[in-house]
Amino acid sequence: MNAPQSMGAEGQHRTMLSFNGVSKQFADGVKALDGVTFDVPRGEFCVILGPSGSGKSTLLRTLNGLTPLTSGRIAVDGVELKPKSLRSMQRRVAMVHQQFNLVERLDVAQNVMSGAVADAAFWRVLLKWYPKSLRQRACDLIARVGLDELHLTRRMGELSGGQQQRVGIARAFLLNPDVILADEPVASLDPATSRDVLTLLRDAARERGTTVLCSLHQLDLAVDFADRIIAMRHGSIIFDGRPDTLDRATIANIYEGSGLEQSRVAA
Amino acid sequence: MDMSNPPQPSLERRREINWHLPAPYTWRTLVLLIAVAGLLFVSARRVDIDKFLVLSGEAISAQLGLRESSQVGRGLARIGKDLFPITLSYRTDVNRIADFDEGRLPWLAYVETVDHREYRMNPDTTKLEATITRKKVMVEPFGYLTLTVSKMIETIEIAIWATILSVLLSMPLAYLGAANYTPNRVIYAIARGTVSLLRAIPELISALFLVLAFGFGPVAGFLALGLHGAGFLGKFYAEDIEAADKKPQDALRALGASKIRVLRLSVLPQVLPSYIAYTLYILDRNVRMATVIGLVGAGGIGQELKGRYDLFEYGNVGTILVVIFVTVFVLDQISARLRARLIA
Repeated sequence: MNAPQSMGAEGQHRTMLSFNGVSKQFADGVKALDGVTFDVPRGEFCVILGPSGSGKSTLLRTLNGLTPLTSGRIAVDGVELKPKSLRSMQRRVAMVHQQFNLVERLDVAQNVMSGAVADAAFWRVLLKWYPKSLRQRACDLIARVGLDELHLTRRMGELSGGQQQRVGIARAFLLNPDVILADEPVASLDPATSRDVLTLLRDAARERGTTVLCSLHQLDLAVDFADRIIAMRHGSIIFDGRPDTLDRATIANIYEGSGLEQSRVAA
Repeated sequence: MDMSNPPQPSLERRREINWHLPAPYTWRTLVLLIAVAGLLFVSARRVDIDKFLVLSGEAISAQLGLRESSQVGRGLARIGKDLFPITLSYRTDVNRIADFDEGRLPWLAYVETVDHREYRMNPDTTKLEATITRKKVMVEPFGYLTLTVSKMIETIEIAIWATILSVLLSMPLAYLGAANYTPNRVIYAIARGTVSLLRAIPELISALFLVLAFGFGPVAGFLALGLHGAGFLGKFYAEDIEAADKKPQDALRALGASKIRVLRLSVLPQVLPSYIAYTLYILDRNVRMATVIGLVGAGGIGQELKGRYDLFEYGNVGTILVVIFVTVFVLDQISARLRARLIA
């Protein structure tokens, strides 16, 4: 296997995520995933690359239960994902969304702290009054993603897209998840901001040893940021390897006929 | 033309554009308009719009001096004469006041001596004779106004408690009656059914029944209004929950949050502005309706209004109507301000 060495501590599973023959067919007959099998070692920044409709989002959403599987098995840190274990799994797997999925009418601090929604005591959620340690963590993270104290009480609508995605990233890291699923995290951002946000996501994940499964449709970003690229088309994996092993023929194959042929190809 | 080059704007060689831009109206619009006009014409006959036009025409021509008088004009003049001047004072025969002490009158009150003319039939002559008696009357210049205002405050209190009851009742109904949060179809149907039922019963009717159950007074009033309001709020709260942006809810669901937690952190902040608007509307409506259901004995200013009306004391009725109008107007201003502040 050509993936980089895992950063996991002794005694932990080296493999963080394991997909085995995962398939998903929607009610309307569309087959979004077709027997997808791969493992992701702990701490890897793994990019799922492909044009829209290739099954990237569906793959990510199967992992945290937003989309139930048709067949196949998924394991997180050696524990198989089952309806019974889903809730406890969801607390270890955070997600960064394409449209940020933040609550417009809540401020930055409240949005970040809502990352503890499943973990905090019910009355605390009811009053939006979180413990001091959590508030401190939220502030630390908001500073880490590059926002100021001034932003704490700003509502989402007052922030730019890039700032909103930074808030989304802070929310995802709040409970120190083992895995972060990033579903097209920069698709609604301009190119320069996209790079800043991806850099932030990758560096924050490295500092914490967090495994990241990130879907992208931009080849250049995938090549620059990924430890490993998994390319998908029509719900199947058509390439799996380090970015420097991606050749022109494969790239053409990924985007063939999708109208998304990229002019920028990695050296 | 070479398609790979961007088209150059040129005035000389403009390409013929052969697009079809549909007209905003078609013959169908005309047919529809004629059909609607026809239906309205038939309906106008049924609700006596023609009678309204004839009577109003008479009233206007009477005003212009073209006619001697009109039915509408006479009616309105009588109402005006009866209601105005409105009665602000309270006059009490001092003989009717226990332990009356002229040295210690209530604030602003004064004593007036009036000649009371009474017609009695003289049994000897069988003729009506006027007997004049002198009477001392205590006048409180704003006595009746004070009473009316205190009744109005009672009405507002009924409306506030009715609104609190509506909100408390409708929140669980909205949660159970929102298609995307209800535990199952049966509970959903029961919740929505309850909400429709509550909304379907007019306040005036439920107040009548509740007066039988709880007796005359504010309890029947606030219950009748509260139940009806819960039917309204339950429906609108639930529909807003259903229409709330799904994306933030997805995000919290993905973190393993239970439905009620998602509702609290992701749906409630989104729907709060419209909830405040609905609730203020219900409060406003409750104040107006509280005066109406007072007519059937459910407390507040309506009860006073009905009493005075039945005694033909139209001056007092006028006072009550003026107080209601001023209250509704002031509350309108307050709620508009409150809305602007809370929704920002």
